[in-house]
Parts: sequence; structure tokens; C-alpha cells
Amino acid sequence: MMEDLDLLKKDWKRSENTFRQLSEFELYKMIHKKSSSIVKWILVISILEFIILRGLDFLILFDDEYQNKMNVVHLYNFEIILTVINYIVLILFISFFYKNFKTINASSSVKRLMKDILKTRRIVKYYVWYNLFLVAVSSTVAVFSEVKNNSILNAFYSKHETTLYLISFGIIVILFLVFWVFYKLLYGILLRKLNENYFELKKIDVA
Amino acid sequence: MKETIEQSFVQLLRENQNILHKICRLYTSDMDSHKDLFQEMTIQLWKAYPKFRGESKFSTWAYRVALNTAITLYRKSTKTIQTSDYEKHSFFIKQEDYNPEEEEQLKAMYKAIHQLNDIEKALIFMYLEDKDYSEIAETLGISEVNARVKMNRIKGKLKKILNP
Repeated sequence: MMEDLDLLKKDWKRSENTFRQLSEFELYKMIHKKSSSIVKWILVISILEFIILRGLDFLILFDDEYQNKMNVVHLYNFEIILTVINYIVLILFISFFYKNFKTINASSSVKRLMKDILKTRRIVKYYVWYNLFLVAVSSTVAVFSEVKNNSILNAFYSKHETTLYLISFGIIVILFLVFWVFYKLLYGILLRKLNENYFELKKIDVA
Repeated sequence: MKETIEQSFVQLLRENQNILHKICRLYTSDMDSHKDLFQEMTIQLWKAYPKFRGESKFSTWAYRVALNTAITLYRKSTKTIQTSDYEKHSFFIKQEDYNPEEEEQLKAMYKAIHQLNDIEKALIFMYLEDKDYSEIAETLGISEVNARVKMNRIKGKLKKILNP
């Protein structure tokens, strides 16, 4: 084995003569090309997530029909307060995200770079879960308000309370599952290699 | 002013490009992938250059950024790498330098190295570059003791691959 490694070391040093040397002009062109970095993708997708999650909220709030319904059940003002809180939370999350994103540095150690990327990514994940929780809560409230204010549904509700609870719960669980699967796929593909390599490094350094 | 920084960077990069080529050789198995990875490394180096304060040699800093690019940052295309591509990628072994037996031994070694995972390849790279274990440990972000242990395990793994 040592023989093989010695031979390899010898060849390794000689191999420098075998690579086609790129000129300064060729290198100039290269450094200005588009990056194919995972960090770029994470940034783009994270920004999209922040925009979409808050954007949907915004659209719903200013829908006239929704406004009227909410006024009827005296929830419209509550919604406004909740929205303000949400925007404050959004700003906080974006600040944390930005702060962590800035620590991502290609000159760091291999382990540190992976850690910083995963940490940054986790912040957006927490923000997504926060929003899912809000969606679950507000849709439950909305469904039951709707039911109580609708005479036909209300009648149904009084007779089949358990069924209605189960159906609502079931729908929410299914929505969560669909979202979770989609999310896992997206980030599973993007971060699979990173997670595997990070796991490998942690295995080595278990001391 | 910006042009001078760019010029000095490109000059340093040209002088040290073999480090990048050697890492690409370990992490890719065909010319196109080699070129793509090399390009991504140059982009990452250029992006990180403003923060490089010369606390270490340019070559040391460069190989760290290059390793990080190969292991973590670079997003490969989903091309499947066939071992037959590797055979065609033997431009680095000059026949006249070795006897047939040595050449076969070398090819087998490189093939075996390609079967290692990304972290193991990084260790082999630094071993072949005669880096001491404290530098290997610092680059990877692990302890020196564990770097040595892992290196021994890799040697064992290579032995198993070469002598199944």
C-alpha cells in the first residue's frame, strides 16, 4: 500500500506538467461568468418564500368579500393587528436571515461553511413553519365562523359536530402533508449532497 | 484601481492554476465536468478575493476555496458519470514516464480514489500535497487527532478497493 501511495505522490507532482495552462485572458473571461453556486439558489428561493408567504396574506386582506365577511364576525380589526404583527415578525426573520447569510464565506473551513449555509437555511424553514401554524389557526377560525353564520351549515353543525371537526382537521392535515412533501423534495434535492457531507464530517469529529 | 486588483488576481490565479486543476481531477471524471468545476472555482475565488488579506499564502487560501467549491458550493448538472469516461480522461499519465506495471498501478489508484466520498478526497488531496495534519485539520474544521485517524481509515479503504 505504501508503495502505491509513494508512486501516486510521485505522479501527483509530475501531473502539473500535463494540465493545459489557461492564459490570463481566458481566466479574465471565466471570473465574470455566471456562478452555479448552491448559495445563489438558496438565496433566490428564500426571497421567493418570504415574498409569496407575505404576499398571499396581503391579497386576502384587501379582498372586499373577505372584508365584509370578517366585519360581520367582528374579526376584521383583529386581522389588521395580526397583519401588523406578521410584518414585524417578517422583518425580524429577514434580519436574522441576512445576518447569517453574511457569514457564509468560501474561505471558511469546510465544516464551517456547511454549518453556516444550513443555519441560514433553517431560519427560512422556521419562518415557513410559523406561517403554516398561522394558516392552520386562522383557517380553523374562519371555517367555524363561516359555519356559525351560515344557517344551513349551522344546522348541520349542531347535528354532526364531531364529523365537522374531523373533516376540518383532516383537511388541514392533508394540506400540511402536501406542503411538507413539496418542501422536502425541493430542499432534499438542493441540499442532499451538503447534508451527506456535513454528516460525514460530524462522524469524523465525534470525539 | 479596480482593474489593478483584477489584474493582480488573474496573475496570481494563472500562476496557481494547477492547484485547481489537481482538485478538479479528483472530483470530476471527464473533461467537461473538469472545465465546469474549474470555472466555478475561479468565480468563487474572485468573489472571495476582496476579503483575502494575505494572512496566508495565496496558494493555501486558493486551495481552501477550491475544495469548498468542489465539496459544497458547486451545483453539478445531473449528468451521470460513467467509469468509461474516466478511462478517456487519462491525459495526465504520460506513458513514457512509467513502465506498464506502474502505469496500471497508477490507473488503479486514481480509480480507487474516485470511489471515495467528497471529504475523503479532500484528505487525500492534502496528503498528496504534503500538508501537515494541523493544516489538514484546520482546512476541514476537525481536530488533528481525528484527521490522522480518518487518514488511516482512508488508506485502509483504498487498500480494500485495490485488493478486494
